[in-house]
Formats: sequence, C-alpha cells, structure tokens
Amino acid sequence: MKTKKKWDTRKTDYLERMSGAEPYINNGKVVAAEDTINVLEAVIRLFDRVNIEGNNQKQANFLAEALIKCDTQRIHDLYMVQSAVPLPVHLDMFEVGIAKKLDFAYGGPMGGRVAEAIKNGKLELGAIHTYLELFARYFIDLTPRVSLICAYEGDADGNLYTGFNTEDTPAIVEATKFSQGIVIAQVNKLVDKVTRVDIPGEWVDMVIESPKPFFLEPLFTRDPANITDTQVLMAMMAIKGIYGEYGVKRLNHGIGFNTAAIELILPTYGEELGLKGKICTEFALNPHPTMIPAIESGWVESIHSFGGELGMQKYCEARGDVFFLGPDGTMRSNRAFSQTAGHYACDMFIGGTLQIDKYGNSSTATATRVAGFGGAPNMGCDAKGRRHPSDAWLKCGAEFTSQSEYLGPMPRGKRLVVQMLESFGEKMVPGFVDELDAWQLAKNANLALPPVMIYADDLTHILTEEGIAFMHKCRNLEERMAAIRGVAGFTEVGLAAKSTETKALRDKGIIKTPEDLGIDRQRANRSLLAAKSVRELVDWSDGLYDPPARFRNW
Amino acid sequence: MSKQLHEITFELKAQNPTDFVEDFAHFGVVGSGDMEVIIEQKNLDGAVKVKIVTPVTGYDEVWRRVLERFVNDTGVANASLEINDNNATPVVVSLRLRQALSEVD
Amino acid sequence: MSSKWENIQKRSFLESEARTRALGLVDPGTFTELAGPRHRISSPHLPLLGEAVEFDDGIVTGVGLIGKKPVFVASQEGRFIGGAVGEVHGAKLANIVRMARKAYDEMLASNPDLPEEKRPAVIISFDTGGVRLHEANAGLLAHAEVMDQFQDCKGKVPIIALIGSRVGCFGGMGFVAAASDVIIMSQFGRLGLTGPEVIEEEMGKDEFDASDRALVYRTTGGRHKYIMGDCNVLVADSIAAFRGALQEVLGKLYAEIAEMSCIGSLEKIQYQLKLVDLCVETAPKDAKDVWKSAGNENPDDLTDMPLDEFLTTVKRLTDRY
Repeated sequence: MKTKKKWDTRKTDYLERMSGAEPYINNGKVVAAEDTINVLEAVIRLFDRVNIEGNNQKQANFLAEALIKCDTQRIHDLYMVQSAVPLPVHLDMFEVGIAKKLDFAYGGPMGGRVAEAIKNGKLELGAIHTYLELFARYFIDLTPRVSLICAYEGDADGNLYTGFNTEDTPAIVEATKFSQGIVIAQVNKLVDKVTRVDIPGEWVDMVIESPKPFFLEPLFTRDPANITDTQVLMAMMAIKGIYGEYGVKRLNHGIGFNTAAIELILPTYGEELGLKGKICTEFALNPHPTMIPAIESGWVESIHSFGGELGMQKYCEARGDVFFLGPDGTMRSNRAFSQTAGHYACDMFIGGTLQIDKYGNSSTATATRVAGFGGAPNMGCDAKGRRHPSDAWLKCGAEFTSQSEYLGPMPRGKRLVVQMLESFGEKMVPGFVDELDAWQLAKNANLALPPVMIYADDLTHILTEEGIAFMHKCRNLEERMAAIRGVAGFTEVGLAAKSTETKALRDKGIIKTPEDLGIDRQRANRSLLAAKSVRELVDWSDGLYDPPARFRNW
Repeated sequence: MSKQLHEITFELKAQNPTDFVEDFAHFGVVGSGDMEVIIEQKNLDGAVKVKIVTPVTGYDEVWRRVLERFVNDTGVANASLEINDNNATPVVVSLRLRQALSEVD
Repeated sequence: MSSKWENIQKRSFLESEARTRALGLVDPGTFTELAGPRHRISSPHLPLLGEAVEFDDGIVTGVGLIGKKPVFVASQEGRFIGGAVGEVHGAKLANIVRMARKAYDEMLASNPDLPEEKRPAVIISFDTGGVRLHEANAGLLAHAEVMDQFQDCKGKVPIIALIGSRVGCFGGMGFVAAASDVIIMSQFGRLGLTGPEVIEEEMGKDEFDASDRALVYRTTGGRHKYIMGDCNVLVADSIAAFRGALQEVLGKLYAEIAEMSCIGSLEKIQYQLKLVDLCVETAPKDAKDVWKSAGNENPDDLTDMPLDEFLTTVKRLTDRY
C-alpha cells in the first residue's frame, strides 16, 4: 500500500538550517572568518553526520578549529565521517563531546589517541576503511549532512579552485550536496575569478577566507639522504626480480624509503638492465619528489595523482606530458579517481609494511595505535572486477598455482601485490611475527577485526634483504609458510626455517635470493642512487622543485 | 654505573674452510644501528674467533647464528673477528661483514 | 690501490666517512694512518656508561703527501656519537697538529732553506658537534690543547679546515675551525658555535626553529658563510673538489695563506669587528637581509641557484667592505 509521506524533508531541513546562517552571509556566499562559529552553530544539529575534509595531505583545519569552539550545549555527539583524523583538534572534538562516533580511513599521528579515546568511551568507532571504501559509503549509508572543506581560492558565487590538492573534495561535495546537505568551504584567498572551477559554485553554500592557508603535510617526501644500503639492495632485487621479470608497466608505489630507493635507481640500475620503456611507464602515484630523476631521464609517460605534494607544484606544471593539468595549466589531483585507477588499471602495488605474520598477512598497526591504512589496501589487493589483460597481469595469473582449485582450467590474470620488509626494523624489532600486533590492537580498542593492511590471499610477493618469496606460486598454506620462513632472516619466524626446505623452494623458483637473481651485493650501496640528497633532486628538476624548509640541507 | 658494555665471544668453524690470508682489515663505522669489524689472520686450526662488544644484551644466540651463516657462506677460516656494535640489526651485520670481506679481495 | 683512490675522488664528500676523506684528500697511496683501528685505542669512559665504542674513537689521524708537501691529516667521523670530541679523540687531534709543528721545527733545523713546497701543513676535516658530553672534562681540555697547538703553529705550519660533512662543525670545534688559516666548505657544510637545537631550546622556537632546515642552513651553511667571508673557498660536494681547492691553497706561500685567515693581527680583528658593526646596523631579521646589504639585489635567488651560478653572481660582504 502506498503510504502518505513527505518527499522533501531533506530540502525543508536544508532551507531551515540555511535560514539560521542567512544573517552572516553577505555578498553572495561569503561569510567573514569571525562569523564562522555562528554559521556552524546555525547549520549543524545534534547527532549530525559531519565531514571535516582532510586526508593524509590537506586539512580544512580552520573550520575544524572553529567547530570545536562551538557551544557544546547546542552541538554535541556528532557523527564524524571523514577520511582522516591526523590533527590534534580532530581528537579534541571527541574529548570535549562535540563528536561521539567516527568512521574514517587514516589516523596517522593521532593513532594512539584514537585508541585511547575508544578505550575511555569518548569515541565510538564505526570502522576503519580504505579511502575508496569510505567514499563509497558517503553515497550509500554514511552521507554527510554538513561538510567542511578547503580550497585554494573561492569566489562570491561559491566557485572553488582546489587545484593541485583537489584530492577528496569532489567526492565529499558531490555526496553532501546532492543529498541536500550543506557545504562550507574555507579558502586561502577570496578572489573575483577563480583560476579554474574545480567545484561549481552551485554546490557550495558558504565561502570563508581563512586567516591562514590550510594545512598541508608533505607526507610523500622522502629525503634520499636517509636511504640505506640495504634498501638499495632490496630495490635492485625488486627491479630485476619483479619489475623486469614481469614487465610491470602500470603500477603504484607505496609511501616509504623502500619504494623511494626503487625510484632513485631506475635511471642507474634500471637503465643498465635495459629496462627503460619496458617497465614503469604509467603510474597512479602522488608527485613523489624521488620520481624526478626517473621522469627527467624519460622513463615515465604518465602519472595520475591522488593528491598534491608540497613543493612539487611548479615541477608538475612544467611536465604537462606526464601529469594531469587543467586548461589553466595547473595540475588537478583526485583521490577517488586515482584510487580507482590504482585499483583497476595498475598491474602492481609495491610498498613497505611493519609486520608480516607467518601466514603472510601484513599490517602497519601496532598494539596501541589505530592508525588506519589510507589507500594502501585499495592498491594492495587483487581487483576482482578487472577483465582487461596485460602481460604482467596474465603472467602472474598463470603462475597462480591454486587458481585452478576455483576456476578449473579457466585462465585469469592476477595483480602483483608486493610487500617489502627488512627482517628486522630499527632497535631489533622483528618484521616477521607469529601473530600481528593488530590482534592485540583489536582487543585493546574493541575492534571487530584486527586491522590488516594486506591479506595473505592478495599478497603475491614478499621481498626482504634475504630474497623474494613468490607466494602465489605456492601450492598451499603450508608451502606459503615455508616460503615466508625462507626469507624471514634471523627472526624467530625465520629461524624456524629448515635449510633443506628452503633449498627445495629455491629450486622451484618460489624463493629467489640476490645470488639466484644474479645481483652483486657489493654494488648495493648508495652510490647507485640517481640523487643522494634533496638538493640533488632540486638540481635534477632544474630548480622547479621547491622543497619544504624542513627538507633543505644547503 | 651499573651499565656496562656487553661482550660476547665464541668460536666457529666453516664447513668448507678457506684460509683468511690478509694480515689485517677494518671496515665500518659505529654509527647508530651500525657496526665496525676488524678481521685478522690468526692460526686457529681452521677456526674463526669472534668477539663482539655491544651495548645490547639478550641477542647472543642471534649473533652466533648470523656469524655462523657468514662463516659458512664465505668459508672464512683462521681468522679473528672483532666487532664493535651499536644496535646493528642482523640485516646490517650480514651486509657489513660481507662488505668487509670484499674490501680485502 | 690507485683505482680505489680514483674511485674515491668522484664520491660525495658529504656521504664519505672519515677514513675515505683522509685517503682521498692526499696523493694516491701516500696516506699512513697513525693510532688507527689496528691500535684499538678506544674511549675508556664510554664502556662505563654502557655506550658503544669505536676502535679509532671517531677520528682518523695520519700523514700523507700533497705534491711534495707532507700533510698531517685529522678527519672526524660524525656518525660515531656525532663526531663528538672525547679524551682519545681530542688527544689524537691535538697530537697530529703537534706532530706537524714538530716536524716543521726539525725539518727547518736540519735545513733552514727547505723550500716552502716541502714544508708541512695540517688539514682537518671537521664532522662534529663539539665536546662529547659523556667525557666532557677531557673533551673540553682537548679543545684547549688543540687551540694551544694552533698557536704554536702560527708563522710555521698552515692549518686548513674542511667542512662539508653531515654534522657540520659546531660547539667548541666551531671556535677551533675559526682559528684555522683557511676554511674550505661545500654548500652542505655548516659552521657555527651553538648548534641549532640548543639555540631553539635556549631561546624558543619563535627565535630559532631548528626543524626549519632552510633557516638553519641560511644562517650556518656554506653559502652563507661564503657570503660572510668566514669561508674562504666554496666548492662542489666531491672529494676531488675539496682536494682541488686544498692543492690550490697549499700551493701558496705561507705568508699568503696566513693572509687568508680571519684573525691573527689587530687589523684583522678590527676588520672583523667592523663587519659585525655593519651587520648590526642593518638590523637584519634574517640572513637574507645581510646578503642584501652585501650587495645582492635578489637574496631569495641565492639559496637555490646551482653552485656555479652562485659563485659567479654572489656578492660577498668582504668584497663590499
């Protein structure tokens, strides 16, 4: 039976909230910075789902600082749905009671406080997501009622220029606005005409010029000075034993020194192996400064980026054949699209981790920090919806021994998912463990699941200083565990390896050591790096790269 | 003053020994997470004498395993190894020992 | 040996450890290490504190040749406790300078007409934060001894400081370097007295933010010191470049080298004081203000331009006044 029901309650609610903000809106959609708290108090209601834009890079920190100053009698118990909570203010919000629930993807430096807040009952955690997963839920069951976003420029009509650091903004705004929600933007500069319309003015309700530019974290900048000889060895093994072996052209690199080392020996070691043009031609990747030498040496045809990277803007603009530039000549990143690209269009993910258990599950979670994984799991899994072939994908699929258990003789490709890990980290912390700390964290923070970054069934290769374990070539769990032991060095896990067993796996090509790969360990030192310092990156870029102050050593 | 540097000593024998013929070799810097080693020729009836000086305790067995593997992989014999360590991981130790030996070649 | 030496020449000075620098700065095959790892003279104090020791206590000392000139070399290792000067380390440093001066005295005594090109010199490759706090009394005493030795060298043995390693040259060793005759730096070298972290701790982050490395370098780095005149020669970051500059300096007569020194006479001190006054007059808020007053129209450009361009365009305070 058809029920009598109002079908425009969202719109009515929207208009009612906006009328409260009306007195503070002037000259189109402009709100003065000093009225920020007033408009937030006018449009936000108890228990609202609210998004404060922010990820592992840019942050709408001015609006976050304003929200926490709102009257807690009027606004409390908000349900925060947002990519990340890396700033102290994000957690203060829970301490003072403005916010109660959280669904997010990345805690970064606040991981410890998230765990604490859960434990002392200040924060109810929905779940830890990947970026793409969280964006997906914005359109299904976690649609924000109010979103507080940030942009470089805004005009009186609400048009925004998010430029280089567009990142999450389109996904948030679309989900919010098209469900009659409210979008408030902090902008670094109010202008008459924005450089480029990244977000149309109709989709934005208020524009506030913030006293200070939004916060940006140069998360993807790795100083080549800190790359170790062991990392160079592992990078050589990756290039020769995996990139070259499979002819990996389309890929994503994780954050960290392991992949930075790979990027920096492409123009030296990679070139020497004759792999230029055969590997690493297209990336879903942030503008890593350590990519500059490879780009300048003509290795790379295309890079689409999740976000910007502090100091790389001018360089990217000057390399329009590689990066995605708008008609205005500046780059646009887009996290949702780049994550999708990384998931479906890349043949490989390679990145570092902190722990791998004896079964091959890996995680960066520690017992006391709910840090989340950002986008890594979207990259570090087999895209089950993928149907288009490529050489690397087909080769890996053909080697996937247990695939026929499910598919019979039906051929199917497999994405390469590679985890790099030294058997021991600093201060003798073992990388290979019996049980991931994630289990303890799940207990400590009442999580339904131990947070796993990459599950063993997605992982195809483990690369340590000892060698590469080709996990997907193994017949069963028992063989996979033996392969892990065989590359786990002198950790407890590795010490359990039997030399006969490891030898048999080497004969089968399931384990390959540097010697098996024909890699001369003596050459594994920093002299192989195309740039050994940030200064040399600047020189490679012809002065276009403008590194943040903290990375300057001249 | 209860803290002291920890000293570990043991002797090993390679499965396929080849005499260490260099009189004296030194390699490495005792940076944080790093180590140095002196390798000297000694008539030890084919054995390798190892002495490690380190601020870290509790890893004597790991040191032995790492050195055992180094000695067996390289066949080094009739040599004394003296190591000054400052929190080097087995990964770094293995690398430095091999580098030290190649420095001699 | 020679191919190893050739190899070393191309290496980054910044990246090179103390022994590599010592070997590569002198002529191939001429370096003889004194009190090296073979002698195992490590710190007697560190073990009592449970701190790791090094066979050479973080400094390489020895003699070699540059052309016909015997050079007495000290090369500090910043990776071992920040190149800090403890008792053994300091004694080795003081002694290598003393040996140079004694060699000079003996050589001149037996042959008063010894040509300048055969007379000894001292080169010190600094990589240190100054005194080693674990053995501070001995370390401080060593600083004083080195300064004494420097004084004894005046009029006899030139002392050349090389600064381009990771730790730079700070603390008491900053004074020691300043008392040398010639300072050769790369843009990665840093020279100062109080280290950036200490300034921040004492004066607050608003006064000096030690994590702002751009700020740290433009107040202590090679480019700045070159503009200020504290650094005599600014070179590229390779052992060969440092060696080249060293050969050029050591090719001069002693009197010419001593003239390059910032101190050593009343006139020189008065000139230094005048430079300080000029800096104070401009009331600088940043090193760049001083660069401007030295005649650099666009000081912002000076930090990032390639070194060659920097050397041809830069105006130095000492040129202006």
